[in-house]
Amino acid sequence: MASPNLSNAAAIVGAAEADVIGYREELTGHKATSLQLHIEAINNVCKYTGIPIADIQGVFSAGWTGELAEHLGIHPRYLDTTSVGGCSFQIHVHHALAAIHAGIIDIALVSHGEAGWSYRGGGGGGGGRGGGQISPGAEMTMAYGTFGAPSQYAHAMVRHFHDYGTTLEDFAHIAVVTRDWAQLNPRAVMYGKAQSPFGGPITVQDVVDARIIAWPLTLYNCCLVTDHGGAVIVARPEIARDLATNPVWITGAGESIGHQNMVEMEDFTATSASRSSATAYEMAGMGPDDMEMAMIYDSFTITAAITAEMLGLAPRGKGYTLWKNGDAAQGGRLPINTSGGGLSFNHSGMYGMQLLVEAYRQLSRTAEDGVNGIEGKQTNATTCIVNGTGGTLSTTGTLVLTSDDR
Amino acid sequence: MAYNKPVPPQGQHTKPFWDGAKDGKLMLPKCNDCGAVHWYPRLICPYCHSTNLRWIEGSGLGRIHTFAVQHRAFGGWAEDVPYVTAYIDLDEGDRMMTVLRGVDGNKPEDIKIGARVKVEFEQGNDDTYIPFWRVTEEA
Repeated sequence: MASPNLSNAAAIVGAAEADVIGYREELTGHKATSLQLHIEAINNVCKYTGIPIADIQGVFSAGWTGELAEHLGIHPRYLDTTSVGGCSFQIHVHHALAAIHAGIIDIALVSHGEAGWSYRGGGGGGGGRGGGQISPGAEMTMAYGTFGAPSQYAHAMVRHFHDYGTTLEDFAHIAVVTRDWAQLNPRAVMYGKAQSPFGGPITVQDVVDARIIAWPLTLYNCCLVTDHGGAVIVARPEIARDLATNPVWITGAGESIGHQNMVEMEDFTATSASRSSATAYEMAGMGPDDMEMAMIYDSFTITAAITAEMLGLAPRGKGYTLWKNGDAAQGGRLPINTSGGGLSFNHSGMYGMQLLVEAYRQLSRTAEDGVNGIEGKQTNATTCIVNGTGGTLSTTGTLVLTSDDR
Repeated sequence: MAYNKPVPPQGQHTKPFWDGAKDGKLMLPKCNDCGAVHWYPRLICPYCHSTNLRWIEGSGLGRIHTFAVQHRAFGGWAEDVPYVTAYIDLDEGDRMMTVLRGVDGNKPEDIKIGARVKVEFEQGNDDTYIPFWRVTEEA
Protein backbone atom coordinates (compact mmCIF):
# COMPACT_ATOMS: atom_id res chain seq x y z
CA MET A 1 0.00 0.00 0.00
CA ALA A 2 1.34 3.37 -0.96
CA SER A 3 1.64 5.60 2.07
CA PRO A 4 1.63 9.36 1.88
CA ASN A 5 4.75 10.86 3.35
CA LEU A 6 3.38 12.70 6.37
CA SER A 7 6.68 12.87 8.19
CA ASN A 8 7.60 16.44 9.09
CA ALA A 9 4.62 17.78 7.26
CA ALA A 10 3.66 19.86 10.31
CA ALA A 11 4.94 20.78 13.79
CA ILE A 12 3.44 21.84 17.12
CA VAL A 13 4.47 25.48 17.37
CA GLY A 14 3.16 26.42 20.84
CA ALA A 15 1.19 25.24 23.84
CA ALA A 16 -0.71 27.00 26.62
CA GLU A 17 -3.26 26.45 29.35
CA ALA A 18 -6.25 28.31 30.74
CA ASP A 19 -5.53 31.18 33.15
CA VAL A 20 -6.34 29.13 36.25
CA ILE A 21 -6.45 25.35 36.37
CA GLY A 22 -6.79 22.80 39.12
CA TYR A 23 -9.38 23.56 41.82
CA ARG A 24 -10.67 26.63 40.12
CA GLU A 25 -13.63 27.28 42.37
CA GLU A 26 -11.38 27.41 45.44
CA LEU A 27 -8.74 29.51 43.67
CA THR A 28 -11.02 32.11 42.12
CA GLY A 29 -14.28 31.92 44.03
CA HIS A 30 -16.15 30.89 40.92
CA LYS A 31 -16.84 27.63 39.18
CA ALA A 32 -15.22 27.38 35.77
CA THR A 33 -17.20 26.51 32.70
CA SER A 34 -15.73 24.25 30.03
CA LEU A 35 -16.26 26.99 27.50
CA GLN A 36 -14.29 29.44 29.61
CA LEU A 37 -11.40 26.99 29.90
CA HIS A 38 -11.34 26.56 26.13
CA ILE A 39 -11.41 30.28 25.40
CA GLU A 40 -8.68 31.17 27.90
CA ALA A 41 -6.39 28.45 26.55
CA ILE A 42 -7.01 29.48 22.96
CA ASN A 43 -6.39 33.14 23.72
CA ASN A 44 -3.21 32.23 25.57
CA VAL A 45 -1.75 29.97 22.91
CA CYS A 46 -2.47 32.51 20.22
CA LYS A 47 -0.75 35.21 22.22
CA TYR A 48 2.16 32.87 22.92
CA THR A 49 2.73 32.00 19.30
CA GLY A 50 1.82 35.42 17.92
CA ILE A 51 -0.74 33.80 15.65
CA PRO A 52 -3.94 35.88 15.66
CA ILE A 53 -7.13 33.96 16.40
CA ALA A 54 -8.40 35.21 13.06
CA ASP A 55 -5.69 33.20 11.28
CA ILE A 56 -6.94 29.84 12.57
CA GLN A 57 -8.07 27.78 9.58
CA GLY A 58 -8.97 24.50 11.24
CA VAL A 59 -10.60 23.81 14.62
CA PHE A 60 -10.16 20.39 16.24
CA SER A 61 -11.96 19.60 19.52
CA ALA A 62 -13.88 16.84 21.26
CA GLY A 63 -17.39 17.95 20.50
CA TRP A 64 -16.96 21.70 20.84
CA THR A 65 -15.91 22.81 17.38
CA GLY A 66 -19.10 24.59 16.31
CA GLU A 67 -19.46 26.34 19.64
CA LEU A 68 -15.82 27.46 19.64
CA ALA A 69 -15.80 28.75 16.08
CA GLU A 70 -18.92 30.77 16.73
CA HIS A 71 -17.69 32.10 20.05
CA LEU A 72 -14.47 33.27 18.43
CA GLY A 73 -16.31 34.73 15.45
CA ILE A 74 -14.19 32.80 12.96
CA HIS A 75 -15.13 30.76 9.91
CA PRO A 76 -12.63 27.92 9.71
CA ARG A 77 -12.54 25.74 6.62
CA TYR A 78 -11.64 22.54 8.43
CA LEU A 79 -13.88 21.28 11.24
CA ASP A 80 -13.04 18.21 13.35
CA THR A 81 -14.99 17.44 16.47
CA THR A 82 -13.83 13.87 16.97
CA SER A 83 -14.74 12.83 20.50
CA VAL A 84 -13.48 9.38 21.41
CA GLY A 85 -12.24 9.78 24.97
CA GLY A 86 -8.89 10.75 26.41
CA CYS A 87 -6.89 9.97 23.30
CA SER A 88 -8.98 12.39 21.24
CA PHE A 89 -6.31 15.06 21.32
CA GLN A 90 -3.56 12.85 19.96
CA ILE A 91 -5.99 11.95 17.22
CA HIS A 92 -6.74 15.63 16.59
CA VAL A 93 -3.04 16.26 16.08
CA HIS A 94 -2.92 13.38 13.66
CA HIS A 95 -5.89 14.75 11.74
CA ALA A 96 -4.37 18.21 11.73
CA LEU A 97 -1.15 16.82 10.33
CA ALA A 98 -3.02 15.09 7.55
CA ALA A 99 -5.03 18.19 6.77
CA ILE A 100 -1.92 20.31 6.61
CA HIS A 101 -0.04 17.76 4.54
CA ALA A 102 -2.95 17.68 2.16
CA GLY A 103 -2.66 21.41 1.70
CA ILE A 104 -6.13 22.18 2.99
CA ILE A 105 -4.99 24.35 5.88
CA ASP A 106 -1.80 25.86 7.20
CA ILE A 107 -2.81 26.58 10.81
CA ALA A 108 -4.82 24.21 13.02
CA LEU A 109 -6.10 24.83 16.55
CA VAL A 110 -6.52 21.84 18.87
CA SER A 111 -8.47 22.90 21.97
CA HIS A 112 -9.61 21.33 25.21
CA GLY A 113 -11.75 22.71 28.05
CA GLU A 114 -13.32 20.58 30.74
CA ALA A 115 -14.62 21.81 34.11
CA GLY A 116 -14.07 18.45 35.73
CA TRP A 117 -13.72 19.81 39.27
CA SER A 118 -16.17 22.69 39.17
CA TYR A 119 -18.85 20.32 37.90
CA ARG A 120 -17.61 17.16 39.57
CA GLY A 121 -20.13 14.41 40.04
CA GLY A 122 -21.77 15.18 36.73
CA GLY A 123 -20.06 12.31 35.01
CA GLY A 124 -18.35 12.31 31.65
CA GLY A 125 -20.03 12.99 28.37
CA GLY A 126 -19.52 13.65 24.68
CA GLY A 127 -18.12 17.10 25.34
CA GLY A 128 -16.45 16.18 28.62
CA ARG A 129 -17.32 17.10 32.20
CA GLY A 130 -19.00 20.44 32.71
CA GLY A 131 -20.15 20.45 29.11
CA GLY A 132 -23.72 20.61 30.35
CA GLN A 133 -23.44 24.28 31.34
CA ILE A 134 -25.83 26.18 29.11
CA SER A 135 -24.10 27.94 26.24
CA PRO A 136 -24.72 31.69 26.10
CA GLY A 137 -26.23 31.28 22.62
CA ALA A 138 -28.87 28.89 23.96
CA GLU A 139 -29.36 30.92 27.13
CA MET A 140 -30.32 33.99 25.13
CA THR A 141 -32.66 32.28 22.64
CA MET A 142 -34.41 29.42 24.46
CA ALA A 143 -37.20 31.64 25.82
CA TYR A 144 -38.63 32.41 22.42
CA GLY A 145 -40.86 29.54 21.45
CA THR A 146 -39.09 27.88 18.55
CA PHE A 147 -39.59 24.14 18.14
CA GLY A 148 -37.30 22.37 15.72
CA ALA A 149 -35.98 23.27 12.31
CA PRO A 150 -39.13 24.60 10.57
CA SER A 151 -39.66 27.24 13.24
CA GLN A 152 -36.20 28.65 12.50
CA TYR A 153 -35.86 28.15 8.73
CA ALA A 154 -39.08 30.14 8.19
CA HIS A 155 -37.19 33.31 9.18
CA ALA A 156 -34.85 32.82 6.22
CA MET A 157 -37.73 32.51 3.78
CA VAL A 158 -39.36 35.73 5.03
CA ARG A 159 -36.07 37.56 4.58
CA HIS A 160 -35.70 36.08 1.07
CA PHE A 161 -39.19 37.42 0.21
CA HIS A 162 -38.09 40.83 1.46
CA ASP A 163 -34.68 40.98 -0.21
CA TYR A 164 -35.58 39.49 -3.59
CA GLY A 165 -39.35 39.86 -4.00
CA THR A 166 -39.81 36.10 -4.10
CA THR A 167 -43.10 34.44 -3.15
CA LEU A 168 -44.31 31.19 -1.64
CA GLU A 169 -45.42 30.18 -5.15
CA ASP A 170 -41.82 30.50 -6.37
CA PHE A 171 -40.58 28.10 -3.71
CA ALA A 172 -43.52 25.75 -4.26
CA HIS A 173 -42.03 24.75 -7.62
CA ILE A 174 -39.16 23.12 -5.73
CA ALA A 175 -41.57 20.88 -3.83
CA VAL A 176 -43.49 20.02 -7.01
CA VAL A 177 -40.46 19.11 -9.13
CA THR A 178 -38.89 17.14 -6.29
CA ARG A 179 -42.16 15.24 -5.78
CA ASP A 180 -42.14 14.40 -9.51
CA TRP A 181 -38.69 12.83 -9.15
CA ALA A 182 -40.02 10.70 -6.28
CA GLN A 183 -42.54 9.17 -8.68
CA LEU A 184 -39.58 7.37 -10.32
CA ASN A 185 -38.31 5.96 -7.04
CA PRO A 186 -40.30 3.11 -5.49
CA ARG A 187 -38.37 3.52 -2.25
CA ALA A 188 -39.59 7.08 -1.88
CA VAL A 189 -42.14 7.70 0.86
CA MET A 190 -44.11 9.87 -1.56
CA TYR A 191 -43.93 7.39 -4.48
CA GLY A 192 -47.54 7.11 -5.60
CA LYS A 193 -50.66 6.61 -3.58
CA ALA A 194 -49.85 2.95 -2.88
CA GLN A 195 -46.92 3.98 -0.74
CA SER A 196 -48.68 6.72 1.19
CA PRO A 197 -52.14 8.25 1.03
CA PHE A 198 -50.31 11.54 0.71
CA GLY A 199 -48.07 10.27 -2.12
CA GLY A 200 -48.23 11.00 -5.83
CA PRO A 201 -47.68 14.23 -7.72
CA ILE A 202 -48.62 17.59 -6.21
CA THR A 203 -49.28 21.04 -7.67
CA VAL A 204 -48.05 24.50 -6.79
CA GLN A 205 -51.51 25.23 -5.41
CA ASP A 206 -51.35 22.12 -3.20
CA VAL A 207 -48.10 23.39 -1.71
CA VAL A 208 -49.42 26.90 -1.10
CA ASP A 209 -52.68 25.64 0.42
CA ALA A 210 -51.13 23.00 2.67
CA ARG A 211 -51.26 23.31 6.45
CA ILE A 212 -48.97 26.01 7.87
CA ILE A 213 -46.17 24.69 10.08
CA ALA A 214 -44.27 27.93 10.60
CA TRP A 215 -45.44 30.69 8.29
CA PRO A 216 -44.55 30.93 5.49
CA LEU A 217 -43.49 27.27 5.49
CA THR A 218 -46.43 25.03 4.68
CA LEU A 219 -46.24 21.27 5.13
CA TYR A 220 -44.99 20.55 1.61
CA ASN A 221 -42.16 23.06 2.01
CA CYS A 222 -40.82 20.83 4.79
CA CYS A 223 -38.88 17.60 4.56
CA LEU A 224 -40.19 14.23 5.68
CA VAL A 225 -39.38 12.56 8.98
CA THR A 226 -38.40 8.96 8.24
CA ASP A 227 -36.01 6.13 9.02
CA HIS A 228 -32.88 5.61 6.96
CA GLY A 229 -29.63 3.76 7.01
CA GLY A 230 -26.90 4.12 4.43
CA ALA A 231 -23.18 3.73 3.92
CA VAL A 232 -20.53 4.35 1.30
CA ILE A 233 -17.03 2.96 1.08
CA VAL A 234 -14.16 5.18 0.05
CA ALA A 235 -10.96 3.54 -1.22
CA ARG A 236 -7.73 4.68 -2.79
CA PRO A 237 -7.46 4.65 -6.59
CA GLU A 238 -5.54 1.37 -6.98
CA ILE A 239 -8.18 -0.49 -5.00
CA ALA A 240 -11.02 1.31 -6.66
CA ARG A 241 -9.74 0.35 -10.10
CA ASP A 242 -9.41 -3.33 -9.14
CA LEU A 243 -13.00 -3.67 -7.93
CA ALA A 244 -15.84 -4.76 -10.15
CA THR A 245 -17.91 -1.75 -9.14
CA ASN A 246 -17.72 1.58 -10.93
CA PRO A 247 -15.74 4.20 -9.09
CA VAL A 248 -17.03 7.72 -8.54
CA TRP A 249 -14.18 10.10 -8.01
CA ILE A 250 -13.98 12.57 -5.18
CA THR A 251 -12.71 15.40 -7.32
CA GLY A 252 -13.30 18.28 -4.95
CA ALA A 253 -14.22 18.77 -1.31
CA GLY A 254 -14.74 21.64 1.09
CA GLU A 255 -16.43 22.55 4.33
CA SER A 256 -17.26 25.65 6.34
CA ILE A 257 -19.49 27.18 9.00
CA GLY A 258 -21.53 30.34 9.15
CA HIS A 259 -22.79 30.10 12.73
CA GLN A 260 -24.04 27.64 15.31
CA ASN A 261 -27.13 29.49 16.58
CA MET A 262 -29.38 31.23 14.08
CA VAL A 263 -29.12 34.47 16.07
CA GLU A 264 -25.57 34.67 14.69
CA MET A 265 -26.62 34.24 11.04
CA GLU A 266 -25.22 37.37 9.44
CA ASP A 267 -27.16 37.18 6.16
CA PHE A 268 -30.42 35.22 6.39
CA THR A 269 -30.34 34.47 2.66
CA ALA A 270 -26.79 33.09 2.54
CA THR A 271 -24.99 30.04 3.91
CA SER A 272 -21.38 28.95 4.20
CA ALA A 273 -21.93 26.83 1.07
CA SER A 274 -20.44 29.78 -0.81
CA ARG A 275 -17.16 29.09 0.99
CA SER A 276 -17.31 25.28 1.11
CA SER A 277 -18.15 25.11 -2.59
CA ALA A 278 -15.41 27.59 -3.49
CA THR A 279 -12.92 25.25 -1.82
CA ALA A 280 -14.39 22.22 -3.56
CA TYR A 281 -14.50 23.88 -6.98
CA GLU A 282 -10.92 25.06 -6.61
CA MET A 283 -9.73 21.57 -5.68
CA ALA A 284 -11.62 20.14 -8.63
CA GLY A 285 -10.45 22.78 -11.08
CA MET A 286 -14.07 23.20 -12.05
CA GLY A 287 -16.86 25.68 -11.56
CA PRO A 288 -20.65 25.78 -11.39
CA ASP A 289 -20.96 25.69 -15.19
CA ASP A 290 -19.19 22.32 -15.23
CA MET A 291 -21.82 20.71 -13.00
CA GLU A 292 -24.28 18.46 -14.82
CA MET A 293 -26.29 17.33 -11.79
CA ALA A 294 -26.73 18.43 -8.18
CA MET A 295 -27.67 16.77 -4.91
CA ILE A 296 -28.71 19.60 -2.60
CA TYR A 297 -29.84 19.10 0.97
CA ASP A 298 -33.50 20.08 0.87
CA SER A 299 -34.60 20.14 4.48
CA PHE A 300 -36.94 22.86 3.29
CA THR A 301 -37.59 24.45 -0.08
CA ILE A 302 -35.79 27.56 1.15
CA THR A 303 -32.70 25.48 1.95
CA ALA A 304 -32.53 24.12 -1.59
CA ALA A 305 -33.09 27.53 -3.17
CA ILE A 306 -30.51 29.39 -1.11
CA THR A 307 -27.99 26.59 -1.51
CA ALA A 308 -28.34 26.60 -5.30
CA GLU A 309 -27.48 30.29 -5.15
CA MET A 310 -24.49 29.71 -2.86
CA LEU A 311 -23.16 26.96 -5.16
CA GLY A 312 -23.22 29.42 -8.06
CA LEU A 313 -25.81 27.39 -9.96
CA ALA A 314 -28.14 30.42 -10.04
CA PRO A 315 -27.76 34.14 -9.26
CA ARG A 316 -28.59 35.43 -5.75
CA GLY A 317 -32.34 35.50 -5.27
CA LYS A 318 -32.96 33.28 -8.30
CA GLY A 319 -32.27 29.78 -6.97
CA TYR A 320 -35.92 28.76 -7.29
CA THR A 321 -35.83 29.39 -11.06
CA LEU A 322 -33.86 26.16 -11.59
CA TRP A 323 -36.97 24.26 -10.54
CA LYS A 324 -39.55 26.68 -11.90
CA ASN A 325 -38.10 26.66 -15.43
CA GLY A 326 -37.55 22.89 -15.49
CA ASP A 327 -33.74 22.77 -15.36
CA ALA A 328 -33.87 20.66 -12.18
CA ALA A 329 -36.68 18.42 -13.42
CA GLN A 330 -36.68 15.13 -15.30
CA GLY A 331 -35.09 15.79 -18.68
CA GLY A 332 -33.75 19.16 -17.54
CA ARG A 333 -30.20 20.41 -18.10
CA LEU A 334 -29.29 20.16 -14.38
CA PRO A 335 -31.19 17.35 -12.62
CA ILE A 336 -31.43 18.06 -8.89
CA ASN A 337 -32.32 15.58 -6.13
CA THR A 338 -33.17 12.74 -8.49
CA SER A 339 -34.19 10.45 -5.62
CA GLY A 340 -37.07 12.68 -4.64
CA GLY A 341 -35.02 14.51 -2.04
CA GLY A 342 -35.59 15.05 1.62
CA LEU A 343 -38.92 16.56 0.64
CA SER A 344 -40.39 13.42 -0.94
CA PHE A 345 -37.94 10.50 -0.78
CA ASN A 346 -36.59 10.23 2.76
CA HIS A 347 -35.27 12.45 5.54
CA SER A 348 -34.21 10.75 8.73
CA GLY A 349 -33.04 13.85 10.56
CA MET A 350 -29.62 13.99 8.94
CA TYR A 351 -29.93 13.66 5.18
CA GLY A 352 -26.30 13.82 4.08
CA MET A 353 -25.94 10.09 3.51
CA GLN A 354 -29.02 9.96 1.31
CA LEU A 355 -27.39 12.62 -0.90
CA LEU A 356 -24.21 10.57 -1.19
CA VAL A 357 -25.97 7.30 -2.02
CA GLU A 358 -28.02 8.89 -4.78
CA ALA A 359 -25.01 10.70 -6.26
CA TYR A 360 -23.11 7.41 -6.34
CA ARG A 361 -25.98 5.54 -7.98
CA GLN A 362 -26.38 8.13 -10.69
CA LEU A 363 -22.70 8.69 -11.49
CA SER A 364 -21.84 4.98 -11.32
CA ARG A 365 -24.55 4.22 -13.90
CA THR A 366 -26.23 1.81 -11.52
CA ALA A 367 -29.36 3.82 -10.87
CA GLU A 368 -31.36 1.63 -13.21
CA ASP A 369 -30.50 -1.77 -11.85
CA GLY A 370 -31.82 -3.57 -8.87
CA VAL A 371 -32.67 -0.83 -6.53
CA ASN A 372 -35.31 0.87 -8.56
CA GLY A 373 -35.00 -0.17 -12.21
CA ILE A 374 -37.15 2.65 -13.52
CA GLU A 375 -36.54 3.74 -17.09
CA GLY A 376 -35.89 7.45 -17.38
CA LYS A 377 -34.46 7.66 -13.92
CA GLN A 378 -30.91 7.45 -15.21
CA THR A 379 -29.21 10.73 -15.93
CA ASN A 380 -26.25 11.14 -18.23
CA ALA A 381 -24.47 13.47 -15.86
CA THR A 382 -20.71 12.96 -15.50
CA THR A 383 -20.31 15.60 -12.80
CA CYS A 384 -22.32 16.24 -9.67
CA ILE A 385 -22.10 18.75 -6.89
CA VAL A 386 -23.28 17.41 -3.53
CA ASN A 387 -24.00 19.85 -0.72
CA GLY A 388 -25.03 18.99 2.81
CA THR A 389 -26.32 21.65 5.21
CA GLY A 390 -26.36 21.16 8.99
CA GLY A 391 -27.96 22.89 11.94
CA THR A 392 -30.03 25.98 11.22
CA LEU A 393 -28.44 26.85 7.86
CA SER A 394 -25.24 26.66 9.90
CA THR A 395 -22.62 24.30 8.53
CA THR A 396 -21.96 23.00 5.04
CA GLY A 397 -19.94 20.31 3.31
CA THR A 398 -19.56 20.30 -0.45
CA LEU A 399 -18.27 17.56 -2.74
CA VAL A 400 -17.62 17.64 -6.46
CA LEU A 401 -18.00 14.05 -7.69
CA THR A 402 -17.22 12.81 -11.19
CA SER A 403 -18.02 9.61 -13.07
CA ASP A 404 -15.37 7.17 -14.28
CA ASP A 405 -16.54 7.48 -17.89
CA ARG A 406 -16.11 11.23 -17.95
CA MET B 1 -50.90 34.22 36.25
CA ALA B 2 -47.57 32.50 36.68
CA TYR B 3 -45.32 32.48 33.65
CA ASN B 4 -45.81 29.08 31.99
CA LYS B 5 -43.13 29.03 29.29
CA PRO B 6 -39.46 27.98 29.41
CA VAL B 7 -37.31 30.34 31.49
CA PRO B 8 -33.57 30.32 30.66
CA PRO B 9 -31.25 29.09 33.40
CA GLN B 10 -28.86 31.95 34.13
CA GLY B 11 -25.37 31.16 32.89
CA GLN B 12 -22.27 31.90 34.86
CA HIS B 13 -21.01 34.73 32.68
CA THR B 14 -24.22 36.69 32.12
CA LYS B 15 -25.23 37.93 35.58
CA PRO B 16 -25.05 41.64 34.62
CA PHE B 17 -27.51 41.00 31.82
CA TRP B 18 -30.09 39.31 34.05
CA ASP B 19 -29.56 41.81 36.88
CA GLY B 20 -30.23 44.59 34.39
CA ALA B 21 -33.29 42.86 33.03
CA LYS B 22 -34.76 42.72 36.51
CA ASP B 23 -34.39 46.51 36.63
CA GLY B 24 -35.89 46.95 33.18
CA LYS B 25 -32.54 47.64 31.53
CA LEU B 26 -31.20 45.95 28.39
CA MET B 27 -27.56 45.36 29.22
CA LEU B 28 -25.23 44.70 26.28
CA PRO B 29 -21.60 43.60 26.09
CA LYS B 30 -19.27 46.15 24.52
CA CYS B 31 -15.60 45.89 23.62
CA ASN B 32 -13.38 48.55 25.17
CA ASP B 33 -10.82 48.13 22.40
CA CYS B 34 -12.76 48.09 19.12
CA GLY B 35 -15.96 49.64 20.48
CA ALA B 36 -18.27 47.03 18.96
CA VAL B 37 -21.36 45.79 20.77
CA HIS B 38 -21.93 42.09 20.31
CA TRP B 39 -24.77 39.72 21.00
CA TYR B 40 -25.05 37.07 22.45
CA PRO B 41 -22.60 37.72 25.34
CA ARG B 42 -19.09 36.38 24.81
CA LEU B 43 -15.99 35.84 26.90
CA ILE B 44 -14.01 37.40 24.05
CA CYS B 45 -14.95 40.02 21.47
CA PRO B 46 -15.95 38.14 18.29
CA TYR B 47 -14.83 41.10 16.17
CA CYS B 48 -11.32 41.94 17.43
CA HIS B 49 -10.66 39.13 19.94
CA SER B 50 -10.01 41.46 22.85
CA THR B 51 -11.02 40.27 26.31
CA ASN B 52 -11.32 43.87 27.52
CA LEU B 53 -15.10 43.92 27.67
CA ARG B 54 -17.72 45.76 29.73
CA TRP B 55 -21.49 45.89 30.02
CA ILE B 56 -23.37 48.98 28.88
CA GLU B 57 -27.04 49.88 29.16
CA GLY B 58 -28.52 49.67 25.68
CA SER B 59 -31.21 51.94 24.29
CA GLY B 60 -33.71 49.10 24.09
CA LEU B 61 -34.51 50.15 20.53
CA GLY B 62 -34.17 48.25 17.28
CA ARG B 63 -35.77 47.15 14.03
CA ILE B 64 -37.21 43.86 12.74
CA HIS B 65 -34.60 42.02 10.66
CA THR B 66 -36.85 39.07 9.79
CA PHE B 67 -39.68 37.09 11.37
CA ALA B 68 -41.83 33.96 11.15
CA VAL B 69 -45.20 32.93 12.48
CA GLN B 70 -45.24 29.81 14.65
CA HIS B 71 -48.27 27.59 14.17
CA ARG B 72 -46.93 24.47 15.85
CA ALA B 73 -45.78 24.71 19.45
CA PHE B 74 -45.68 22.79 22.70
CA GLY B 75 -46.02 23.45 26.43
CA GLY B 76 -46.97 26.97 27.42
CA TRP B 77 -46.30 28.28 23.94
CA ALA B 78 -49.04 26.07 22.45
CA GLU B 79 -51.65 28.37 24.00
CA ASP B 80 -50.26 31.34 22.09
CA VAL B 81 -50.25 30.09 18.47
CA PRO B 82 -50.04 31.72 16.05
CA TYR B 83 -47.31 33.89 17.57
CA VAL B 84 -44.54 35.79 15.81
CA THR B 85 -40.86 35.04 16.39
CA ALA B 86 -38.35 37.56 15.10
CA TYR B 87 -34.75 38.64 14.92
CA ILE B 88 -34.10 42.23 15.98
CA ASP B 89 -31.32 44.47 14.69
CA LEU B 90 -30.26 46.47 17.75
CA ASP B 91 -29.60 50.19 17.34
CA GLU B 92 -26.21 49.51 18.97
CA GLY B 93 -25.40 46.79 16.40
CA ASP B 94 -25.70 42.98 16.22
CA ARG B 95 -28.92 41.02 16.62
CA MET B 96 -31.22 39.44 19.22
CA MET B 97 -33.98 36.87 18.98
CA THR B 98 -37.45 37.46 20.41
CA VAL B 99 -41.18 36.92 20.24
CA LEU B 100 -42.85 40.09 18.99
CA ARG B 101 -45.50 41.90 21.01
CA GLY B 102 -48.14 44.13 19.44
CA VAL B 103 -48.57 42.09 16.23
CA ASP B 104 -51.24 39.70 14.94
CA GLY B 105 -49.93 36.29 13.85
CA ASN B 106 -52.98 35.86 11.66
CA LYS B 107 -51.94 38.89 9.60
CA PRO B 108 -48.26 38.36 8.73
CA GLU B 109 -48.68 40.64 5.71
CA ASP B 110 -49.10 43.54 8.16
CA ILE B 111 -45.73 42.89 9.83
CA LYS B 112 -42.92 44.80 8.16
CA ILE B 113 -39.20 44.07 8.10
CA GLY B 114 -37.53 47.27 9.26
CA ALA B 115 -40.37 48.21 11.64
CA ARG B 116 -39.32 49.99 14.85
CA VAL B 117 -39.39 47.92 18.05
CA LYS B 118 -38.81 48.64 21.74
CA VAL B 119 -37.78 46.19 24.42
CA GLU B 120 -39.93 45.27 27.43
CA PHE B 121 -39.43 42.67 30.12
CA GLU B 122 -41.71 39.94 31.39
CA GLN B 123 -41.18 38.17 34.70
CA GLY B 124 -40.29 34.50 34.20
CA ASN B 125 -39.51 33.71 37.82
CA ASP B 126 -38.17 35.50 40.92
CA ASP B 127 -34.76 36.17 39.36
CA THR B 128 -35.27 36.12 35.63
CA TYR B 129 -37.04 38.75 33.58
CA ILE B 130 -37.14 37.93 29.88
CA PRO B 131 -36.78 40.60 27.18
CA PHE B 132 -39.46 40.78 24.51
CA TRP B 133 -39.83 43.40 21.79
CA ARG B 134 -42.92 45.42 20.89
CA VAL B 135 -43.60 47.00 17.51
CA THR B 136 -43.97 50.73 18.07
CA GLU B 137 -44.32 52.05 14.51
CA GLU B 138 -44.24 50.94 10.91
CA ALA B 139 -41.03 50.58 8.91
